[in-house]
Amino acid sequence: MEALLSRSRQLRRPASRLCWSCSRQLKAQARRAYASAASQPDIYDVVCVGGGPAGLSLLTALRPGKDSRLEAAPGPILEPMQLVDSLLGELSEPNRGMGPPGERACPAVSRDAGLGRRDGCAHRVRLGDARHGEDDRLYDGEPEPHLRAFAPDERYRGAEVFDKVKVENITFGEDKDDLDLTQWPVVHLSGGKQLAARLLVGADGANSPVRAFAEIESRGWDYERHGVVATLEMEDEGWGGHDMKIAYQRFLPTGPVAMLPMPGRYATMVWSTTPRNAALLKSLPAKDFLAVVNAAFRLRPVDLEFMHTTESGQAEELLWRLQHTHVNHQSVPQTVVSVQEGSVASFPLKLRHADTYIGERVVLVGDAAHTVHPLAGQGLNAGQGDVESLARAIEYSVLHGQDLGTRMSLESYNSERYAANHVMLGVCDKLHKLYSVESGPLVPLRSFGLNAVNAMRPLKNFFMDQAAGKGAKLF
Amino acid sequence: MVARPSTALLLRRLRGLTPALRRRPESFVTSRYTTSFLANRSCCRSFSSTGSGSPSDNAHQSTSDPNFTTVSPDEVSHFNALASSWWDPHGPSRILHLMNPLRHDFIRMCRNSVLDAPSNTGLTYLDIGCGGGIFAESAARLPGTKSVTAIDPSPEVLNIARGHAHRDPSLRYKLQYLNTPIEQLTKTLHSQQPQAAQQQPQQPQYDVVSVFEVLEHVSNPAQFLDQCAPFVKPGGWLVMSTIARTWLSWFTTNLMAEDVLRIVPRGTHDWQKYVNEEELRGHFMAGRSGQWAEPRCMGVIYIPGVGWREVQGSEKVGNYFFAVRKTAEE
Repeated sequence: MEALLSRSRQLRRPASRLCWSCSRQLKAQARRAYASAASQPDIYDVVCVGGGPAGLSLLTALRPGKDSRLEAAPGPILEPMQLVDSLLGELSEPNRGMGPPGERACPAVSRDAGLGRRDGCAHRVRLGDARHGEDDRLYDGEPEPHLRAFAPDERYRGAEVFDKVKVENITFGEDKDDLDLTQWPVVHLSGGKQLAARLLVGADGANSPVRAFAEIESRGWDYERHGVVATLEMEDEGWGGHDMKIAYQRFLPTGPVAMLPMPGRYATMVWSTTPRNAALLKSLPAKDFLAVVNAAFRLRPVDLEFMHTTESGQAEELLWRLQHTHVNHQSVPQTVVSVQEGSVASFPLKLRHADTYIGERVVLVGDAAHTVHPLAGQGLNAGQGDVESLARAIEYSVLHGQDLGTRMSLESYNSERYAANHVMLGVCDKLHKLYSVESGPLVPLRSFGLNAVNAMRPLKNFFMDQAAGKGAKLF
Repeated sequence: MVARPSTALLLRRLRGLTPALRRRPESFVTSRYTTSFLANRSCCRSFSSTGSGSPSDNAHQSTSDPNFTTVSPDEVSHFNALASSWWDPHGPSRILHLMNPLRHDFIRMCRNSVLDAPSNTGLTYLDIGCGGGIFAESAARLPGTKSVTAIDPSPEVLNIARGHAHRDPSLRYKLQYLNTPIEQLTKTLHSQQPQAAQQQPQQPQYDVVSVFEVLEHVSNPAQFLDQCAPFVKPGGWLVMSTIARTWLSWFTTNLMAEDVLRIVPRGTHDWQKYVNEEELRGHFMAGRSGQWAEPRCMGVIYIPGVGWREVQGSEKVGNYFFAVRKTAEE
């Protein structure tokens, strides 16, 4: 498990400086008194376990800027790049921030990609007014802080990042030296460091150890599908060129496959398919793997199915079959020319929802709180919504002197996000069920429905706004 | 009312109406009657007669008797019984926890409303009747706070407050709890200092003196406020909150909150002791004119399921905050 731990020292400068200094004093005292005792935990306001998009965004949200009502913070402690590099080998789900070395990027997740597609054929979706903004980062055209965490010029100032360490254990603190930490979670890192947290944030993914520590149950079901992810290089910057990035999603009988653009010639693929197909895809040599990926957006389902039946030779198979298939090249992603080594991974798709997002001094965000089928690309959006709401709750408690770790301070976060996420989980689940039907009267009905929505501009806009989190708040 | 262990109180709450009803007539005869009588008398005396300019009478009376206190023993035992559940976010004090952020909004509003506001850093607070420390802890956590002194006459409640403060390292050097009534505070603080014997006690003064949800629990509010007044720095604020004495407040805070919805423990409020906003305003602006200025008020209403909200004009009917700024010494 990847561990990213941050102290939001910047949150309330003088108070936490005092907190920091007093904790230092405490440690100094403790060293004198218990020279032989085990190491004392360092005291932090916020410790975030997990360096995925949710964790990094939270860090950025708690970091004060010029526009923030919280005060300025000291310089960077870690280049964000290192952080993301270290994530590449640890992918457990598609929305994790990933990018080619040297380039900080997050897949511009298909905020609008869930709409306008048709059965069995790839459909182009324009991602808002996608542009390279003033700082080369807003690929979804949202001038909101949604993807800010991944911007190359952002530094996690005021936060400490513990890179390439593992969380070995989480326990409660002790009551000694006139300081009662029995209700504070203490995170034990590999290497012996201990961090006592006023608020422990679980941004640690679907199998969240923080959630296990908090004894919060997570319920749901498995889809018997695996998501295959890979970071790919295209032949060019995409049909929209440098300035307009296009995401693609095609519904295949086994599940949707999506190509999500990243800066330059790179893209991230997320392919929901059967566990058997996923295993095959992971075992193929790069040349054949690329052939299957290209085929997934071009060939008919029956041809594609055949390509999953042989152990090798997909590249030649594709060349031959493309001669007999009519493809409008502008309507499918550009040809994929290489796959980043080690970036192909798969994970089981499931629906999970935690019973609650908050406990005393514990809060869950992102996939730790809710795991969703990736077909509508809503996992990252939901995580970003969580972070936005949690950051607001934390800011409110800090400005009003509340203890930001208590359940009382976190209640607004839970009540703001739970219902909204529950609806999102349900909608994605029903979409999956709708699209896993392969024959029968539902198939033409489904196509008719989608075409109808596509034709009715206001209705389509409504759905797109809802998917992008810009529309009227329904829940 | 006799002091009951808190478990008994909780059990009573759990068991519901019957035991409470059985107890009702008896407590009504013994304590309710006397306190309400006293309160009635004190309200009349404090807020109408002292308005005619005899603040020194009260001060004189209190200093002449070393054991004089405005604390009423019934109230101390009531809050002793509540001590253990003070910090339970879903316990009987939940509604107080929810109100706390508004207190800071109000104080901030008061301090920012004057042109010559001193800087917002290095502030000192005195919280009178701090209870379990809900306000005191939060004030100590604010970035601009230098120190918070919090006092309460109920020892059990204060033990809970001290125990709870130990759970937060950031409070360690900023928050001090003292089990003393306001009348003894100067003496208590003085005795803490080294070489206390050689020096004359000095009047400690604070930027913000807060008296939250206390006025409706003391036996003589006017006298009590006169005791609090010297602790305010010139230019500092005396901040209060209480409930207006109206039929509506009887309906909401006594009948609904305590007896029907039970979101506030039974016996917490005595409607007769509530203080109206005009009475406070009159006390400071007419009775002690020249010392106080800039009266500020904010009415708040609790809406179940939503929380506390500021409602303009609601100070006339229910819970409200009131603050005055000290202009000069007596």
